[in-house]
Amino acid sequence: MADTAIRFGFLALLAGLIAFFSVSAPGFLSPQSAVFIFQSVAITGILALGVTATLVVGGFDLSIGSVATSSMMAAAYAMVVLEQNALVAVLFCLAIGALVGLVNGIIIVYMRVPDLLATLGMMFLLVGLQRIPTEGRSIAAGMTMPDGSTAAGTFSPAFLALGRHRFDFFLPNLLPVSVVVLLVLALLIWFFLEYTRFGRMMYAVGSNERAAELAGAPVKAYKIWAYVISGIFASIGGILLAARLGRGDIASGNNLLLDAVAAALIGFAVLGAAKPNAFGTAIGALFVGVLLQGLTMMNAPYYTQDFVKGAVLVVALVFTFALSNRSRR
Amino acid sequence: MEATFRITGLRKAFGPIRVLNDVALDLCSGEVTVLMGANGAGKSTLVKIMSGVHRLDAGEMTLGGVRYHPASPAEAIRAGVVTVHQNINDGVVAALDVAANLTLDRLSGKGAPLFYNPRRVRREAKAVAARLDLDIDLGASIADLSLADRQMVAIARAMAHEPKVMILDEPTSSLSSAEANRLFAVIDRLRQHGVAILYITHRMSDIRRVADRIVSLRDGSISGVFETKPLDYEGAVNAMLGRAMHLVAVDVKEATHPVFEANDLRLSDQSRPFSMVLGAGEVVAVTGLVGVGKTLLAETLFGLRRPLAGTMRLRGEAYAPTSTAEAIEKGVFLVAKDRAESGIVGDFNIYKNISLPFLERFSRLGVSRRGAERAVAREQIDRLSIVCRSERDDMSTLSGGNQQKVMVARWMAQPASLFILDEPFQGVDIAARRDIASKLRASAAGRTTLLFLTELDEALETADRILVMSEHTIVGEHRNEGLDMDRLLAQVAGEPMRGAA
Amino acid sequence: MSITRRTFSRLGLAAAAGLFAAPALAQDMPAPFDNPGEVKIALVRYLSTGDFFQAYLSGVEAQAKALGVDLRVLDSRQDAALQADMVDQAIALGVDGIIIQHGLTESMKEAAQRAVDAGIKVVAFDVNVENPAIPQIEQSDRDLARLALEQAVADNGEAWKAGYVYVAGIAPLDRRDETWREFKAKYPGINEVAMFGTLDNPIANSVANQARSVVTANPDIQVMFAPYDEFAKGVKIAVDEAGLSDSIKIYSADISTADIAAMREPGSAWVATAATNPAVVGQVSVRALAMLLAGEEPGASVIVPPTLITQADLNGQDIKNMEELSAKLPQFAHADVAMPAWMPNPNE
Repeated sequence: MADTAIRFGFLALLAGLIAFFSVSAPGFLSPQSAVFIFQSVAITGILALGVTATLVVGGFDLSIGSVATSSMMAAAYAMVVLEQNALVAVLFCLAIGALVGLVNGIIIVYMRVPDLLATLGMMFLLVGLQRIPTEGRSIAAGMTMPDGSTAAGTFSPAFLALGRHRFDFFLPNLLPVSVVVLLVLALLIWFFLEYTRFGRMMYAVGSNERAAELAGAPVKAYKIWAYVISGIFASIGGILLAARLGRGDIASGNNLLLDAVAAALIGFAVLGAAKPNAFGTAIGALFVGVLLQGLTMMNAPYYTQDFVKGAVLVVALVFTFALSNRSRR
Repeated sequence: MEATFRITGLRKAFGPIRVLNDVALDLCSGEVTVLMGANGAGKSTLVKIMSGVHRLDAGEMTLGGVRYHPASPAEAIRAGVVTVHQNINDGVVAALDVAANLTLDRLSGKGAPLFYNPRRVRREAKAVAARLDLDIDLGASIADLSLADRQMVAIARAMAHEPKVMILDEPTSSLSSAEANRLFAVIDRLRQHGVAILYITHRMSDIRRVADRIVSLRDGSISGVFETKPLDYEGAVNAMLGRAMHLVAVDVKEATHPVFEANDLRLSDQSRPFSMVLGAGEVVAVTGLVGVGKTLLAETLFGLRRPLAGTMRLRGEAYAPTSTAEAIEKGVFLVAKDRAESGIVGDFNIYKNISLPFLERFSRLGVSRRGAERAVAREQIDRLSIVCRSERDDMSTLSGGNQQKVMVARWMAQPASLFILDEPFQGVDIAARRDIASKLRASAAGRTTLLFLTELDEALETADRILVMSEHTIVGEHRNEGLDMDRLLAQVAGEPMRGAA
Repeated sequence: MSITRRTFSRLGLAAAAGLFAAPALAQDMPAPFDNPGEVKIALVRYLSTGDFFQAYLSGVEAQAKALGVDLRVLDSRQDAALQADMVDQAIALGVDGIIIQHGLTESMKEAAQRAVDAGIKVVAFDVNVENPAIPQIEQSDRDLARLALEQAVADNGEAWKAGYVYVAGIAPLDRRDETWREFKAKYPGINEVAMFGTLDNPIANSVANQARSVVTANPDIQVMFAPYDEFAKGVKIAVDEAGLSDSIKIYSADISTADIAAMREPGSAWVATAATNPAVVGQVSVRALAMLLAGEEPGASVIVPPTLITQADLNGQDIKNMEELSAKLPQFAHADVAMPAWMPNPNE
């Protein structure tokens, strides 16, 4: 009985919420609304999936929010200032994400800096770094450069399509690219963590590093890879953000970080896993999305939304730690 | 004699599982009562009830004739029942120095002064240390102490309460014999002071040394009380196990051909180089005191560290592993010491723990094949008689002996050239230990099985050949057949080294 | 193409900082500007990151250059205590005038008084230092909201369903909100069906998520009043994604190069915005200070009037960025405020 409650409690809560909003918010229960919920959590969801990888190896990545905004600035810079095409911009961003992840990993694994501190430092570094090329300006087509000239490039239509194109799915023009990317990445990382030996070894590293090492696992490499995954996922989030906004905005990305971490932590409670897992993270992100969509449709002011987010997180953590620990005695 | 501490009709269950059933136990002042029990018999639960961690479901406990039902560990200590726990690090605070640790309870107890006065603390600590003849720098940090010294600190602190009843839960499991002797001397002194002592242990040598009475616990009930001298040790073991355990006579086998050779291996700066040859089909035990380099040698063989000098050959080829992965690849496996810290992956169930090192062999294109993993796990569960509901059980649901069997099963699932087990019988009850030993011996053909054992009894029961280690080198070799016990013990104690030097 | 852009940008005001703003002839100027090289002024900033503050600084630099005075920029980067210390630093430097740009009343009041006591002329932009000797430079948030809303009424009549983006507790937004309330009272046909808003960054992305929910719940909204360009940007994304660009019109305040691009997208729902040119505010700040130094009285409060910019204006004159906006909409490039006859115009 208690086991069932722990396993399915959160999913039941999600179903209950959906039922509640369907009744009380007209228009909530429609394919468009469903797709929109996915769209609203796509970017934080992708970041959350990345941070899940670091949580799995027993680490943490506070730099994902600023990696995403740096990647957004980088995409805008590549296209608007350097006048590159969409492909170059995307590759540029992915390279930045991978590089930041690699540096994070090396600092943590080889320099033995605790993960929270290393990635906190990286976060500040990136918040500053993303402002240097434009001397603190946001990037938009036709912007004035620090030297007084005007940037000649524009956001390429192919790049903007990443944020605006919609695939036909049952209904015409239903599924935005970002949602498809979220779903694909969620499936990929879920499969990777649950069904490949690399994912399994990452869990082993997170649960008992010494045992994993004695079982012949290259522990350091796995840890570094986790941060690289996190960095790449965050940069993908940043690419989608740039494509949606159509410009490169100066931003710290702290809200992205907090929402992503919340999703990953809520994920601990899903199916009573009590550990980081990709499926839970996806459900966690969705849970927050459903709540915010429903509340906004019911005209709840923005500060109630932060409150509700926090409450959900606390409840999820209680679920995870109090209840599942009791079941384990 | 009137019992200082008396338990009658005690019962305790966790959910549907009955852990203790109608337990009755008397502890008398000035007497050491040894509590024997296999893993899972309920010893720990009994200790936790006595020390106020758990509440009993039914029954009565009295201390000095007064009802004693402690609601918390602090209450138990105030009443005069103190416990030295098996897990040494639970008994000390690593962040504080020795002096603060020795006086910790006074810092937090009722009526403790508000301000921390280092000089007063040092003075009190000195008094506490003196009681135990503790020779440890009071200013040293706990983190810098050996496990044995930490244990002594924990015991010294418990003694500072001037207890009426003292519970020692496997106190010697991490101590060298010299350190254990210090502990026994202290126990003798406590006995003279009229403290009632409950001593929980697996070790026959401890029991022979300290026991005034033996109480055997089996499946949550008292299965035997032995108090007439001379004590019937065999009977106590039988009562604990529920069947007669005869001393296992090892049917000594000869190695068929050499598998592993070490030439002039040097493990540390001061140590003398040594050579050894290990052959196929034999079980070799390396024995020696705690801290003589057994784990160092195991780690060197497994690629965790490099020897300072010397060469190794495996199946005729040079062997100098630079990583554990390389060692495993070449067929050298290690069941590491201290399974909780370096073996068990807590988040994984049984089959995932078993497949851990060989996941690659269970995978196709990087995707693990769970069916194959589970089949192998089931096979191993069968082979090693691991008690569990299924291969998907969590490790935390298993008893210590069964957890250790899973650790062994992990490596027995694949053929090895050199199979190393470092203290495989630590925290394992006798039944499980004999099970593991017989499985190791039965499957020994074709590989060398190398055991690192501090307990000589364990070596005598499992090995074909016994190597003695002292001061980071091998000082003696014995065939386990009519061996010269005096010589072996002398080598363990390090005398031949001095003679040779 | 790039040459024409260059040319335009040279006409523009940010670039004008360097190129066309030659100092006026010194002998025509009142003291102390007859010898402007000797005049030192300081800009003490509280906020500096972001496009608005960049443009503001360029305006200050342009006007200072036109006057030929020596400008020092002290930037406290949102450190209120440091900003107060910087005023003292400026006093120690022996400057003749100080512009205080943003800050907190509590921390700046005393520092400003110390500067005044030291005989230094002070003006303040967007921070009330509660000192009668210090003129306030202001952009009129009420006028901003009024211009945008008057356009909304002109476009849509006096009765429509509105969505409103607002976050309480931010001073300029609160002032814009007052005007919105007045309009709702004046035109009872305006029906506010939804109010939402957030400042979670990236703001446009967060607002877009909210606005998507709002337009899904209320697809009959005709007008979105988003009196801050980040809000408007987010609403536009949501309206586009919901495919409602034809039925919803967005009215906002503030403008940037990126906003111009968004307003000019084909079929854009963002039809008008009211904006004060931050560069002009910067110029006015320096001019008001210069008047004080010359012994003239700019008035206790110097208000920089906003300009209404419509999608039609932008498309009609093919305006692509802020420089072209200044060049082609003269009322945006220059405000005839604090402009005595002797004052050099940095835009000429």
